[in-house]
Amino acid sequence: MPNAALELDSVTRRFGPVIAVDRISLAIEQDEFFALLGPSGSGKTTMLRLIAGLEQPDEGQVRIAGEVVTDLPPYRRGVGMVFQNFLLFPHKTVAENIVFPLRMQKMDRAQQQKQLGWILELLHLQGLEARYPNELSGGQQQRVALARGLISRPALLLLDEPLANLDRELRSEMEVEIRRYQKELKIPFVYVTHNQEEALTMSDRIAVMRNGRFEQIGAKTEIYTNPASAFVAAFVGHANRLDGQLSEIDGGLARMNWAGGQLLVPRPADAKSGDRVRYFIKHEDLEVTAAGLNGGGLNGHVANDINQVSGTLRDIIFKGQTANYIITLPQGTDLVVSDTPRTITLKPSDPVIVRWPAGSGACFAAEGA
Amino acid sequence: MSGLRSGKRLHPELRFLGLAGPGAAFIVISLLLPLLSIVVFSFWRTESYELYADWNLDNYRTLLGEAAYRTFFLRSLVTAAIVTAICLVCGWPVAYFIARWGGRYRLLLVLLLAAPFFTGAILRITALQGLLGPIGLVNMTLVELGLPPIEALMYTQLASGLGLVYLFISFMVTAIYLSLVNFNFELLEVAKINGAKPWRAFIEITWPLNWIGTAIGIVLVFIPCLANVVTPRFLGGPDATSFGMSLSQQFGETGTWALGSAMGVFLFLASFAVILAIWPTIKLKRSGFTGAVQQ
Repeated sequence: MPNAALELDSVTRRFGPVIAVDRISLAIEQDEFFALLGPSGSGKTTMLRLIAGLEQPDEGQVRIAGEVVTDLPPYRRGVGMVFQNFLLFPHKTVAENIVFPLRMQKMDRAQQQKQLGWILELLHLQGLEARYPNELSGGQQQRVALARGLISRPALLLLDEPLANLDRELRSEMEVEIRRYQKELKIPFVYVTHNQEEALTMSDRIAVMRNGRFEQIGAKTEIYTNPASAFVAAFVGHANRLDGQLSEIDGGLARMNWAGGQLLVPRPADAKSGDRVRYFIKHEDLEVTAAGLNGGGLNGHVANDINQVSGTLRDIIFKGQTANYIITLPQGTDLVVSDTPRTITLKPSDPVIVRWPAGSGACFAAEGA
Repeated sequence: MSGLRSGKRLHPELRFLGLAGPGAAFIVISLLLPLLSIVVFSFWRTESYELYADWNLDNYRTLLGEAAYRTFFLRSLVTAAIVTAICLVCGWPVAYFIARWGGRYRLLLVLLLAAPFFTGAILRITALQGLLGPIGLVNMTLVELGLPPIEALMYTQLASGLGLVYLFISFMVTAIYLSLVNFNFELLEVAKINGAKPWRAFIEITWPLNWIGTAIGIVLVFIPCLANVVTPRFLGGPDATSFGMSLSQQFGETGTWALGSAMGVFLFLASFAVILAIWPTIKLKRSGFTGAVQQ
């Protein structure tokens, strides 16, 4: 890709015996909002630091806007960065913090002030110019940090869990705002987070990282609906996990023996009959209904291309737009069903049936098997 | 029930005064009273090693009028300024290195800075004499190698100044170190990402955010140097007499206590002026000082 905003070419970074980033290759387009999603210790922050120039790769090459920057120090890379703990300069006012990158570029004062006015307006920071960071709320500090990262219209903006220190309400507000800035400014964003909802809300494309490698990289809907591994299936979205054994392969589908019954699941790649597998089905893909008079006793049945199991409703967790129905199955495991709270009138300890389309969900060979 | 109790409870300020009282009293008695007595003596007269309480300004006339005292004072002032500057330039990198890269040894390294204090100042200066003097290690080595000795090191102002640097640099390093351990070095990464070269990041971020510690170091070095007695006596030559040395002679050899007191008052005012000069440069808000200042 000749006009990629950022390219990594088999980049590796080791810390002693630990490989923090393991032969990662990646290309990010201009205009793209890219999320690096992974649990802590997966190497995502190290990757961001390699792009920023705060770490040197042991192997591989980093290119920004086509130029090789692998050996350039951070101050020659022209990227912006926003940190989790804001890291504003405590001895500088809001305005001084924000124009810092322009001053370092030796931009003339009039131009600096013009840019400052523009970014203050974009981020709704007017009136705070003369304040010091310790006189700002957390949300304001994060906006100032964003303004400092964006004012020079960098070739790339790196964001390292920028919302992790904000409260929930402010976070969801900022998620929308940050995406808006990215779309308006058309600056590629690389956004590191361990929060899958953040990644799903904001980004265009997601790479799920684990142990220094990409577990899966793709459009967010692809990652969500079509996870490439058990790790991704468990990490992205909310899914029920069912462990079973394949009994019969039938084209793209397979029958899984589970809890004395059978379920029709997608066939894992190269799976054979008798393999131990792990099946994931998202909460919202399940449907719960009151057990009919003849519905008792069903457990793990496939009928008319529908998987169905019966159990007892243990609790309803009301969440507003949705509710989680927690269903205890006869053998003791729990299934969680997410549904609109109005659709059904169920009470705890009612017998229920859970159904979902046969062959939906994701199934993988059990790890370590 | 609670009304009765709270009625008996002392006001928080009063309770705190009870704790702070003894220490405060000691400070007042041991610091302020002698200082006051010196101020009083400076307006008195000494004759044949006796103090007479007839009030006059003669001591100050002598002090400001005679060229020798002006020379001593200017010499002390210039020496203190140069020594402070050297301590600053040499101390900063050391403090920075310990704070940044000292890791688990940094406390030990800082404590080792106190190692010279394990012995007394006089002994240390004598040891320095053994290093710099005519039969000292440096010059003897040069002579042994057939080279001329460095005369500038033998009983000169330079030697006296080196002695001061040696005596006071650990104060400078410690003050700067204590500031740097509370400094968030991540801010330097931020500065660099935003386009600052390392030296620029130092000027923009590290220096202003550690100015309090640096200023304390400057005061801790400059003021004792201004009053310095020991190093010119042991390491300096005849042209190295400092203000402090002359002052101490008033109380010893010449017995002119009143003049000595006037010199003390003068020194006190000079030191106070230094602190007043530094004070407005310390802006807590701009220093990144995070402790809340109660209004």
